[in-house]
Amino acid sequence: MTGPLATLAIVAPLVLALWPLVLLVINRPPGRSLWVALGVVEVIQVVFAVWALVSMVTRTTDFARLEFALYVLGLLAILPAAGWWIRAEKSRAASAVLLVALLVVPFMVVRAQQVWSGV
Amino acid sequence: MSETRVNRGFGRVLVVVYAVFALAATARSFVQILTRFDEAPVAYTLSAAAALIYVVATVALARGDKTSRRVATTAIAIELAGVLIVGTASLVAPSAFPSASVWSTFGSGYLFIPLALPILGLWWLHRTRPVPED
Repeated sequence: MTGPLATLAIVAPLVLALWPLVLLVINRPPGRSLWVALGVVEVIQVVFAVWALVSMVTRTTDFARLEFALYVLGLLAILPAAGWWIRAEKSRAASAVLLVALLVVPFMVVRAQQVWSGV
Repeated sequence: MSETRVNRGFGRVLVVVYAVFALAATARSFVQILTRFDEAPVAYTLSAAAALIYVVATVALARGDKTSRRVATTAIAIELAGVLIVGTASLVAPSAFPSASVWSTFGSGYLFIPLALPILGLWWLHRTRPVPED
Protein backbone atom coordinates (compact mmCIF):
# COMPACT_ATOMS: atom_id res chain seq x y z
CA MET A 1 0.00 0.00 0.00
CA THR A 2 2.95 2.31 -0.67
CA GLY A 3 4.35 3.82 -3.85
CA PRO A 4 4.05 7.01 -5.86
CA LEU A 5 0.22 7.02 -5.90
CA ALA A 6 -0.09 6.62 -2.11
CA THR A 7 2.61 9.24 -1.57
CA LEU A 8 0.78 11.64 -3.88
CA ALA A 9 -2.49 10.96 -2.00
CA ILE A 10 -0.72 12.02 1.24
CA VAL A 11 1.45 14.88 0.00
CA ALA A 12 -1.08 16.63 -2.30
CA PRO A 13 -3.64 17.46 0.45
CA LEU A 14 -0.83 18.40 2.89
CA VAL A 15 0.66 20.86 0.41
CA LEU A 16 -2.76 22.26 -0.49
CA ALA A 17 -3.52 22.70 3.23
CA LEU A 18 -1.02 25.59 3.26
CA TRP A 19 -3.43 27.59 1.08
CA PRO A 20 -6.43 27.70 3.47
CA LEU A 21 -3.92 28.15 6.31
CA VAL A 22 -2.71 31.38 4.69
CA LEU A 23 -6.33 32.44 3.99
CA LEU A 24 -7.20 31.76 7.64
CA VAL A 25 -4.31 33.97 8.81
CA ILE A 26 -5.16 36.85 6.43
CA ASN A 27 -8.88 36.51 7.29
CA ARG A 28 -10.25 35.47 3.88
CA PRO A 29 -12.74 32.85 2.73
CA PRO A 30 -11.69 30.40 -0.02
CA GLY A 31 -11.78 31.68 -3.61
CA ARG A 32 -12.57 29.95 -6.89
CA SER A 33 -9.01 28.79 -7.61
CA LEU A 34 -8.82 26.97 -4.26
CA TRP A 35 -12.05 25.12 -5.12
CA VAL A 36 -10.48 23.99 -8.40
CA ALA A 37 -7.37 22.80 -6.56
CA LEU A 38 -9.60 20.90 -4.11
CA GLY A 39 -11.26 19.19 -7.06
CA VAL A 40 -7.84 18.07 -8.34
CA VAL A 41 -6.92 16.67 -4.90
CA GLU A 42 -10.24 14.83 -4.72
CA VAL A 43 -9.59 13.26 -8.14
CA ILE A 44 -6.21 12.04 -6.83
CA GLN A 45 -8.03 10.51 -3.82
CA VAL A 46 -10.52 8.75 -6.11
CA VAL A 47 -7.69 7.24 -8.20
CA PHE A 48 -5.90 6.17 -5.00
CA ALA A 49 -9.12 4.66 -3.58
CA VAL A 50 -9.83 2.64 -6.73
CA TRP A 51 -6.27 1.30 -6.69
CA ALA A 52 -6.49 0.55 -2.95
CA LEU A 53 -9.80 -1.31 -3.28
CA VAL A 54 -8.60 -3.33 -6.28
CA SER A 55 -5.46 -4.21 -4.29
CA MET A 56 -7.66 -5.24 -1.36
CA VAL A 57 -9.84 -7.52 -3.49
CA THR A 58 -6.89 -9.18 -5.19
CA ARG A 59 -4.84 -9.62 -1.98
CA THR A 60 -4.86 -13.22 -0.80
CA THR A 61 -3.33 -12.82 2.69
CA ASP A 62 -5.65 -12.10 5.58
CA PHE A 63 -5.94 -8.58 6.99
CA ALA A 64 -8.62 -6.23 8.45
CA ARG A 65 -10.52 -5.75 5.19
CA LEU A 66 -13.55 -4.03 6.74
CA GLU A 67 -11.43 -1.38 8.50
CA PHE A 68 -9.36 -0.85 5.39
CA ALA A 69 -12.43 -0.41 3.17
CA LEU A 70 -14.00 2.02 5.67
CA TYR A 71 -10.86 4.19 5.72
CA VAL A 72 -10.56 4.18 1.93
CA LEU A 73 -14.24 4.95 1.30
CA GLY A 74 -14.33 7.43 4.21
CA LEU A 75 -11.43 9.51 2.93
CA LEU A 76 -13.33 10.10 -0.33
CA ALA A 77 -16.22 11.70 1.58
CA ILE A 78 -14.13 14.21 3.58
CA LEU A 79 -13.56 16.96 1.00
CA PRO A 80 -17.07 16.85 -0.56
CA ALA A 81 -18.63 16.93 2.92
CA ALA A 82 -16.45 19.86 3.98
CA GLY A 83 -17.28 21.73 0.76
CA TRP A 84 -20.99 21.17 1.28
CA TRP A 85 -20.79 22.31 4.90
CA ILE A 86 -19.19 25.68 4.05
CA ARG A 87 -21.20 26.36 0.88
CA ALA A 88 -22.83 29.42 2.49
CA GLU A 89 -20.03 30.46 4.87
CA LYS A 90 -18.48 33.77 3.80
CA SER A 91 -15.98 34.18 6.65
CA ARG A 92 -12.52 32.75 7.24
CA ALA A 93 -14.20 29.91 9.13
CA ALA A 94 -14.69 28.36 5.66
CA SER A 95 -10.91 28.37 5.20
CA ALA A 96 -10.45 26.81 8.65
CA VAL A 97 -12.88 24.02 7.75
CA LEU A 98 -10.95 23.24 4.55
CA LEU A 99 -7.69 23.27 6.51
CA VAL A 100 -9.05 20.65 8.93
CA ALA A 101 -10.47 18.55 6.06
CA LEU A 102 -7.16 18.64 4.14
CA LEU A 103 -5.31 17.40 7.24
CA VAL A 104 -7.83 14.61 7.90
CA VAL A 105 -7.53 13.17 4.36
CA PRO A 106 -3.78 12.30 4.51
CA PHE A 107 -4.25 11.02 8.06
CA MET A 108 -6.83 8.55 6.74
CA VAL A 109 -4.54 7.46 3.90
CA VAL A 110 -1.80 6.75 6.47
CA ARG A 111 -4.28 4.85 8.68
CA ALA A 112 -5.35 2.78 5.66
CA GLN A 113 -1.67 1.97 5.03
CA GLN A 114 -1.25 0.95 8.68
CA VAL A 115 -4.30 -1.32 8.53
CA TRP A 116 -2.90 -2.81 5.32
CA SER A 117 0.38 -3.72 7.04
CA GLY A 118 -1.41 -4.96 10.15
CA VAL A 119 -0.63 -2.16 12.64
CA MET B 1 -23.26 41.42 21.71
CA SER B 2 -24.23 40.87 18.11
CA GLU B 3 -26.28 37.76 17.38
CA THR B 4 -23.91 34.91 16.54
CA ARG B 5 -25.47 31.61 15.55
CA VAL B 6 -23.98 28.56 17.20
CA ASN B 7 -23.35 26.92 13.81
CA ARG B 8 -21.70 29.93 12.13
CA GLY B 9 -18.14 31.24 12.19
CA PHE B 10 -16.06 29.34 14.75
CA GLY B 11 -19.08 27.05 15.16
CA ARG B 12 -18.54 25.75 11.61
CA VAL B 13 -15.03 24.62 12.52
CA LEU B 14 -16.21 23.15 15.83
CA VAL B 15 -18.86 21.08 14.02
CA VAL B 16 -16.24 19.74 11.60
CA VAL B 17 -13.93 18.61 14.40
CA TYR B 18 -16.92 17.02 16.15
CA ALA B 19 -17.92 15.36 12.87
CA VAL B 20 -14.42 13.88 12.45
CA PHE B 21 -14.59 12.39 15.95
CA ALA B 22 -18.16 11.18 15.38
CA LEU B 23 -17.13 9.49 12.13
CA ALA B 24 -13.97 7.95 13.60
CA ALA B 25 -15.65 6.77 16.81
CA THR B 26 -18.68 5.34 14.99
CA ALA B 27 -16.60 3.50 12.41
CA ARG B 28 -14.24 2.11 15.05
CA SER B 29 -17.13 1.02 17.27
CA PHE B 30 -18.94 -0.55 14.29
CA VAL B 31 -15.84 -2.62 13.48
CA GLN B 32 -15.25 -3.61 17.14
CA ILE B 33 -18.82 -4.78 17.69
CA LEU B 34 -19.06 -6.56 14.35
CA THR B 35 -15.73 -8.40 14.48
CA ARG B 36 -14.72 -8.95 18.14
CA PHE B 37 -17.48 -7.93 20.56
CA ASP B 38 -16.90 -11.03 22.75
CA GLU B 39 -13.34 -9.92 23.61
CA ALA B 40 -14.38 -6.88 25.68
CA PRO B 41 -18.15 -6.32 25.71
CA VAL B 42 -18.06 -3.59 28.38
CA ALA B 43 -15.30 -1.56 26.75
CA TYR B 44 -16.88 -1.84 23.31
CA THR B 45 -20.31 -0.87 24.63
CA LEU B 46 -18.75 2.21 26.27
CA SER B 47 -16.99 2.92 23.01
CA ALA B 48 -20.32 2.77 21.16
CA ALA B 49 -21.90 5.10 23.74
CA ALA B 50 -19.06 7.59 23.22
CA ALA B 51 -19.58 7.39 19.47
CA LEU B 52 -23.30 8.06 19.92
CA ILE B 53 -22.57 11.12 22.09
CA TYR B 54 -20.25 12.53 19.41
CA VAL B 55 -22.89 11.95 16.72
CA VAL B 56 -25.64 13.63 18.80
CA ALA B 57 -23.36 16.58 19.65
CA THR B 58 -22.35 17.00 15.99
CA VAL B 59 -25.92 16.99 14.68
CA ALA B 60 -27.20 19.25 17.47
CA LEU B 61 -24.37 21.79 17.02
CA ALA B 62 -24.87 21.74 13.25
CA ARG B 63 -28.63 22.39 13.54
CA GLY B 64 -28.24 25.10 16.14
CA ASP B 65 -31.91 25.85 16.87
CA LYS B 66 -33.30 26.28 20.38
CA THR B 67 -34.00 22.60 21.11
CA SER B 68 -30.73 21.54 19.47
CA ARG B 69 -28.80 23.90 21.78
CA ARG B 70 -30.26 22.09 24.76
CA VAL B 71 -29.50 18.66 23.26
CA ALA B 72 -25.94 19.79 22.41
CA THR B 73 -25.37 21.12 25.94
CA THR B 74 -26.53 17.82 27.49
CA ALA B 75 -24.49 15.68 25.09
CA ILE B 76 -21.34 17.77 25.56
CA ALA B 77 -21.74 17.77 29.36
CA ILE B 78 -21.91 13.94 29.26
CA GLU B 79 -18.89 13.94 26.95
CA LEU B 80 -16.89 16.11 29.39
CA ALA B 81 -17.88 13.85 32.30
CA GLY B 82 -16.90 10.81 30.22
CA VAL B 83 -13.45 12.07 29.30
CA LEU B 84 -12.78 13.15 32.91
CA ILE B 85 -14.00 9.86 34.44
CA VAL B 86 -12.37 7.55 31.88
CA GLY B 87 -9.23 9.71 31.81
CA THR B 88 -8.83 9.55 35.59
CA ALA B 89 -9.76 5.86 35.79
CA SER B 90 -7.24 4.94 33.09
CA LEU B 91 -4.48 6.55 35.18
CA VAL B 92 -5.64 5.17 38.54
CA ALA B 93 -6.43 1.63 37.31
CA PRO B 94 -4.64 1.15 33.98
CA SER B 95 -5.23 -2.62 34.08
CA ALA B 96 -8.97 -2.01 33.67
CA PHE B 97 -8.29 -0.34 30.30
CA PRO B 98 -6.17 -2.85 28.39
CA SER B 99 -6.90 -1.36 24.97
CA ALA B 100 -6.65 2.40 24.68
CA SER B 101 -9.94 4.21 24.13
CA VAL B 102 -10.36 7.71 22.76
CA TRP B 103 -10.81 9.02 26.33
CA SER B 104 -7.91 7.09 27.96
CA THR B 105 -5.42 9.40 29.73
CA PHE B 106 -7.63 12.36 28.80
CA GLY B 107 -7.24 11.71 25.09
CA SER B 108 -3.45 12.11 25.12
CA GLY B 109 -3.27 9.74 22.12
CA TYR B 110 -5.33 12.26 20.16
CA LEU B 111 -3.37 15.43 21.09
CA PHE B 112 -5.79 15.98 24.02
CA ILE B 113 -8.42 17.06 21.49
CA PRO B 114 -11.05 14.83 23.26
CA LEU B 115 -10.48 16.88 26.43
CA ALA B 116 -10.39 20.28 24.70
CA LEU B 117 -13.44 19.62 22.52
CA PRO B 118 -16.18 19.55 25.21
CA ILE B 119 -14.66 22.60 26.95
CA LEU B 120 -14.63 24.52 23.64
CA GLY B 121 -18.13 23.27 22.88
CA LEU B 122 -19.61 24.44 26.17
CA TRP B 123 -17.74 27.77 25.90
CA TRP B 124 -19.09 28.32 22.38
CA LEU B 125 -22.66 27.39 23.40
CA HIS B 126 -22.36 29.89 26.25
CA ARG B 127 -20.94 32.61 24.00
CA THR B 128 -23.67 32.22 21.40
CA ARG B 129 -26.56 31.94 23.90
CA PRO B 130 -29.63 33.84 22.74
CA VAL B 131 -29.88 37.32 24.25
CA PRO B 132 -33.32 37.82 25.82
CA GLU B 133 -35.23 40.63 24.08
CA ASP B 134 -36.61 43.39 26.32
